[in-house]
Amino acid sequence: MSTFVLPVGPQHPALKEPTSFRFLVDGEYVVDADLRLGYNHRGIEKGCEDRTYVQCMYILERICGICSNAHMTAFCQGVERILGLEVPKRGLYIRCLMGELERVHSHLLWLGVAGHEVGFDTFFMYTWRDREIVQDLLELISGNRVNYGMQTIGGVRRDLDELQIKKCLEGIAALKSRTPYYLNIGATEPTLVARIAGIGKLPKEKALELNAVGPTARASGVEIDVRKDAPYAGFESDIPFHIKTDTGGDVLARVVVRAHELMESYDICEFILKNLPSGEVRAKAPRKVPEGEVVSRVEAQRGEDIHYIRSNGSDKPERVKVRAPTLANWPATLYMLRGGYVADIPIVMAAIDPCLSCTDRMAVVTDVRKGSEKVMDWEELRRYGIEFYRRKGIKL
Amino acid sequence: MSLKLGAMLPEVVRHLFRRPATVQYPFEKLELPKRFRGTPVMDPDLCIGCQMCARDCPSEAIEIHKESETTDETGKVKKRFSMTFYLDRCSHCAQCEEVCPRKAIHLDSTFEHGAFDRGSLKIIYK
Amino acid sequence: MDILKVLLYLLVYPGLLFLFLYSTFVEWVDRKLYAKFQNRMGPMYTGSHGVLQPIADFIKLMAKEDIVPEKADKPLFNAVPVLALASVLTAGLLLPVWHFSVSTPSATSFQGDIIVMAYLLSLPTLAYFLAGWASTSMYSVMGGVRVLTLLFAYEVPMFLAILSPAVLAGSWRLAEIAAYFQAHPAMLLVDVLAFAVALVALQAKLERVPFDIPHAETEIVGGAFTEYTGRKLAMFRLLVDIQMVVGAGFLAALFLGGFPGGLIPGFVWFIIKTMIIVFILSAMRAVTARIRIDQMVAFSWSWLAPLALIQLVIIFAIRGYMP
Repeated sequence: MSTFVLPVGPQHPALKEPTSFRFLVDGEYVVDADLRLGYNHRGIEKGCEDRTYVQCMYILERICGICSNAHMTAFCQGVERILGLEVPKRGLYIRCLMGELERVHSHLLWLGVAGHEVGFDTFFMYTWRDREIVQDLLELISGNRVNYGMQTIGGVRRDLDELQIKKCLEGIAALKSRTPYYLNIGATEPTLVARIAGIGKLPKEKALELNAVGPTARASGVEIDVRKDAPYAGFESDIPFHIKTDTGGDVLARVVVRAHELMESYDICEFILKNLPSGEVRAKAPRKVPEGEVVSRVEAQRGEDIHYIRSNGSDKPERVKVRAPTLANWPATLYMLRGGYVADIPIVMAAIDPCLSCTDRMAVVTDVRKGSEKVMDWEELRRYGIEFYRRKGIKL
Repeated sequence: MSLKLGAMLPEVVRHLFRRPATVQYPFEKLELPKRFRGTPVMDPDLCIGCQMCARDCPSEAIEIHKESETTDETGKVKKRFSMTFYLDRCSHCAQCEEVCPRKAIHLDSTFEHGAFDRGSLKIIYK
Repeated sequence: MDILKVLLYLLVYPGLLFLFLYSTFVEWVDRKLYAKFQNRMGPMYTGSHGVLQPIADFIKLMAKEDIVPEKADKPLFNAVPVLALASVLTAGLLLPVWHFSVSTPSATSFQGDIIVMAYLLSLPTLAYFLAGWASTSMYSVMGGVRVLTLLFAYEVPMFLAILSPAVLAGSWRLAEIAAYFQAHPAMLLVDVLAFAVALVALQAKLERVPFDIPHAETEIVGGAFTEYTGRKLAMFRLLVDIQMVVGAGFLAALFLGGFPGGLIPGFVWFIIKTMIIVFILSAMRAVTARIRIDQMVAFSWSWLAPLALIQLVIIFAIRGYMP
């Protein structure tokens, strides 16, 4: 049988963001998979070098719409550690609350997207309707449905009052009663189970070898979670947290892990809202940060998010490097896609919850023949692109 | 758990008799919370021209210009400033509201900024 | 006078005009039901509650630019939508709605017209494959191949299921089968298994979830229809709608007792019975996910075909004991 190359991307209905996959396909079997990233690169790390710490916070928040709070937390946490600043307890609790509410938001969104990728539009509509509850709560607390802008260097920017706490508890109770229904459907609806059980298997050794993070790894039985390994934002003191894993290693296991994480997040949010300590929510942070470097880790919705910050005594950072969790999950995804069906491509890709906006960072141009590397600036890149297409016969 | 044929059917049929969850925007609008981050509005009477908002804005959407400088009889100098605000660059982060020492900026509840011409999104508060 | 009746039959009811208007109405009902099942609203603005939305979509597509891919087989590419639409419209003429008499066969109601109807309803499937093949784009070819694989899965159970009432009624003529069931309504319950198999097979023929594998949007973009634009795509979309009406009418004539009473009562019965079938198909669409092609073939040959065979055995047994 002859094989042919099936391109999925950069534009494809299965992808929410541009990625370029090249599948070597034999009828309906995927023989091999190849990946090219970089379509969502926006020069954020370079932009951070030119902006003050306050401005950087907002730029880094907009790396991704769903992981926005995680990126902001990681950055603020890192700078606080360089400054040696201690955040008041109330601020830490609210910081944790925002992180967990964003996790709820993201997992509900993911359940819907997974349903849509297998053609189950009703499931998609129901989960996204429930997601409106958590988005209204987030808008009530922070003023916006995405990109909450709650974290700042030294704590959080807004406080919660009694009415907001009451509304949050009501919303979380409503969600808590509805979420087990989706787990039930995922386990009993025969067409859905046929599409997700046994698909995209990642054994535990492979997950460790390929450095999978987040729910992708936890669904293969690997117990890693930054909230347990390197606790932050209140997890190190009194907020209770239990790591959730599953041993299936397939897409169904990832659904189960995310559903359990949802229930765990509801419990954490309720604990925070009922036990909010009194006091200030932020500590005053100086504008100039002394010299130092820090690696700050946060458990984003998709896995471990790492920020490296180096300061040089001025009010602008010297270097900010972001390693998003999805970048760590791509090798595991390529492994999962080989040997599967073409029909399984969308759901396996969706199962790691890809966030390309998080993934694409600095692109270094490598000359394969000479082995040399260089970085191009905007003018040079533009000239290179026009020349590239002119040689192919396309005039720009 | 064992598989059930048409597991979602009871719930789906029940929805035939429920009100739809859709809000028919723009004919119906949702109520916005009190601290919604809409568009910045500046009061020139309160501005002291410290430029903190312009310095902190992550999208460089604010410019503060000196309008006039008057000296009254007692010798006190009173300066008046205006703000040129580029609405198309604003990221609605409310950093300007937070950092202003005289609380001259506050964010209102408007968010519908569609326009055909970029120039119309340049607002001057005098 | 007779010429006028024939022209009325061909062009108005159940011909071109009626099939066009009714199929867009059925698409609207399907979209509204699907939306209501999902707790949302569906079309709302064109016409009262969005009734004219499918017609608006059709007009919009007709007005769009028609692009033919460079490497496509142009004559085949252009001819396929028209041929498929023609075959489905012809199938619609064979439904026993009016202008037929049970005692005398005519051009639109004759012995064996059930076979002709089933054949005419299979032609669009071949047309989808040819459309995918003629487009020569990767996604279209894969979609076309999937269409044929799906045909391999559901065709045999469907034929077995639709032939069961024919065997029970002892005739190969749709009008006579409908008349038989109108005379003995209790016999309809014997055929329930075949009805269920035929509904599932019809869902597969119409390529709706859970069987919309050939044009799975998230996997192969548009399947056989990926490269079609403008007027040809409008014809394909209309073809899908009309296939739904004709298929529903076909099943209603076989399993729900036909459309007795002549012109006006027959029309009312047609609307009611096809709406029942459309409701069931919509519900099936709302509660399931899309299954894979190999799972579909396995499901069809392990469940649908044996059930249809069991139904045939039951019917033979009953016919043997009937006076």
